[in-house]
Amino acid sequence: MGEKTIFLCEDSTDGIFTGVYDAWASRLGHGNVKLALKEDMNYELFARYLEVEPDGEKAGKVADSLRRKLGDEDYYHIYCAALSRSREKADYIYRTVAAGLSGGRQGAIMQNLQNPAVCRVFELSRTTGNEAHRYFQFLRFRELESGVLFSEIRPENHILPLIGEHFSDRFPCEHFLIYDRTHRMFLAHEAYKQWVLVVGEEPDWEKAGKVSEKEREIEQLWKGFCRSIAIEERKNLNLQRQFLPMKFREFMTEMR
Amino acid sequence: MKIQEAMSIYEKLDILSDAAKYDVACTSSGIDRKGDGKHMGNTVAKGICHSFSADGRCISLLKILFTNECVFDCKYCINRCSNDVPRASFTPEEVCTLTMEFYRRNYIEGLFLSSGILHNPVYTMELLYQTLYKLRNECQFQGYIHVKAIPGAPQELIDRTGLLADRMSINLELPTSESLKKLAPHKSRRTILTPMRQIQNRMEQNRQELMVYRQAPRFVPAGQSTQMIIGATPENDFEIVSVAESLYQKFQLKRVFYSAFVQVNEDSELPALPGGPPLLREHRLYQADWLMRFYGFQASELLSAKRPNFNVFLDPKCDWALSHLEQFPVEVTRAPYQTLLRVPGIGVKSAQRIVKARRYGALSFGDLKKMGVVLKRALYFITCGGRMMYPVKIEEDYIMRNLLSVKERLPFDLEHYHQLNLFDDCGVAR
Repeated sequence: MGEKTIFLCEDSTDGIFTGVYDAWASRLGHGNVKLALKEDMNYELFARYLEVEPDGEKAGKVADSLRRKLGDEDYYHIYCAALSRSREKADYIYRTVAAGLSGGRQGAIMQNLQNPAVCRVFELSRTTGNEAHRYFQFLRFRELESGVLFSEIRPENHILPLIGEHFSDRFPCEHFLIYDRTHRMFLAHEAYKQWVLVVGEEPDWEKAGKVSEKEREIEQLWKGFCRSIAIEERKNLNLQRQFLPMKFREFMTEMR
Repeated sequence: MKIQEAMSIYEKLDILSDAAKYDVACTSSGIDRKGDGKHMGNTVAKGICHSFSADGRCISLLKILFTNECVFDCKYCINRCSNDVPRASFTPEEVCTLTMEFYRRNYIEGLFLSSGILHNPVYTMELLYQTLYKLRNECQFQGYIHVKAIPGAPQELIDRTGLLADRMSINLELPTSESLKKLAPHKSRRTILTPMRQIQNRMEQNRQELMVYRQAPRFVPAGQSTQMIIGATPENDFEIVSVAESLYQKFQLKRVFYSAFVQVNEDSELPALPGGPPLLREHRLYQADWLMRFYGFQASELLSAKRPNFNVFLDPKCDWALSHLEQFPVEVTRAPYQTLLRVPGIGVKSAQRIVKARRYGALSFGDLKKMGVVLKRALYFITCGGRMMYPVKIEEDYIMRNLLSVKERLPFDLEHYHQLNLFDDCGVAR
């Protein structure tokens, strides 16, 4: 057995998909390559390291062919897994793609849960997807003086790309900003336009602190509603915590 | 008490959400509608819960009464006309403002609008229609709307309202017409089932219209639902699930909700419930409801006239499996989907995953676990590749003992629940 080649990818969908492309194109054989994330990598002995430069074109090719050969649903699972916070995701994705594109049976690879890599990708995708859904539920906007809707979240996985579509479809007529405190990124939506991700910029905290005149009143109304809608005879804080875990409450209007 | 004029919107919301809280249906599910790219709102078929109140129930919609004035005198209801409670009414504008402002902050999925009967059913239904009309046409709200059809309102008015709403519901209130007569003297089975049938027929007609013309306005696209109060009257579980089953079959309801009776009024016709609302019973009924809707069970399989109530200690599926041991064990690598669904510990999702995954090759117990099968329950009922997980006896007492030692996850504290039932001492370890 020859020396293992480890492809170091950037922690982004483009980075990982480019890694998949390069590893595949290297023709070293699936058994001889491994994908890993660049940051905080534990270097192995007796391995050759290759840095992967994220390349939109290569990543696009991978995404296209996954979509074409595996179908939209499987592609979506792989995409969600690529957004997860796992440090091992890149290699699992590579193994899953390899299993999906080789062998007699193309497509529907995500159903093959006996394959350990597929199972891991499936789990990562489920975790990330579930977290995104939690933010459909629990994300709260506040109206700033300028009329812009502002929201803060602290997710574990990089879910911003997964929630942009939902919120811009729902509020096409609003300007809104969602700030991800974990990954220090913005989702910005200008009314009637496509949403965009903004990396490496802090929000203007002074502006974000000034809410509109109406805001306090609406917040009070909402808090009052949440109180009066509960049935005292059925009080059950354990059940409430099960459905609405503490970690999501930090920025929720009614929990402050 | 008439103090409407001086009331702030905060006080009104306080009174009218408090008065609406006993209604159960807070789901926002049943229809996928994309935004139109211009106006606020869309809907998601799965529904979205936006918050959970201190009782652990989901808050999905702005659940309010339009007014808690009421000319009816239903004995179980906090708003009965003989009660002296503060009364309030919204204006259509206020309901619109609250809905729009809450919606754009992502507090809610939409509006749940119910109402007491102000003056008469026609007048009240007209008010609900006006409110919905304003919300849909002036505020251009595209989110979810669930509205109550008021029993006794004319068909034409219900038709018009249904074109603006996503879901409509009429509460059955109580499972039998005798109970209804006793506790809700102003309502009758007929005034409740007639509009329910009308809505069903109109939905059918709408399906035809949509086939002819895809852009035709949609009538109650998320279907209709209803709810029953549990524990206020002497019906047993078998009667209740049978009623629910026939509602699903004959009226094509989307959901039948159960509401554990909460004693808000003192009345000689009402039972005293020192143990609080019958939550465990409500839970068992919902479990059975799921079995009927998604697992292919029939009411008559779960209960019978001889055994009319659910087992307190075992969920209905385990209970069924234990009394049908001749059908087990099931071989997971070969059994048809419908058979897998009947195995305790296997749910809809895990059954689907098993059926798909086994096309790729052999399965192990470890794989089943990863697919979401609860093995500590399922292991008595399945073989995988011809072998059982452990050598166990397929014998009722033995399996029952083992299943009871696996603590069932209930949505409330069973110990607390039992302690409250002083005279209903069940005396069995959890």
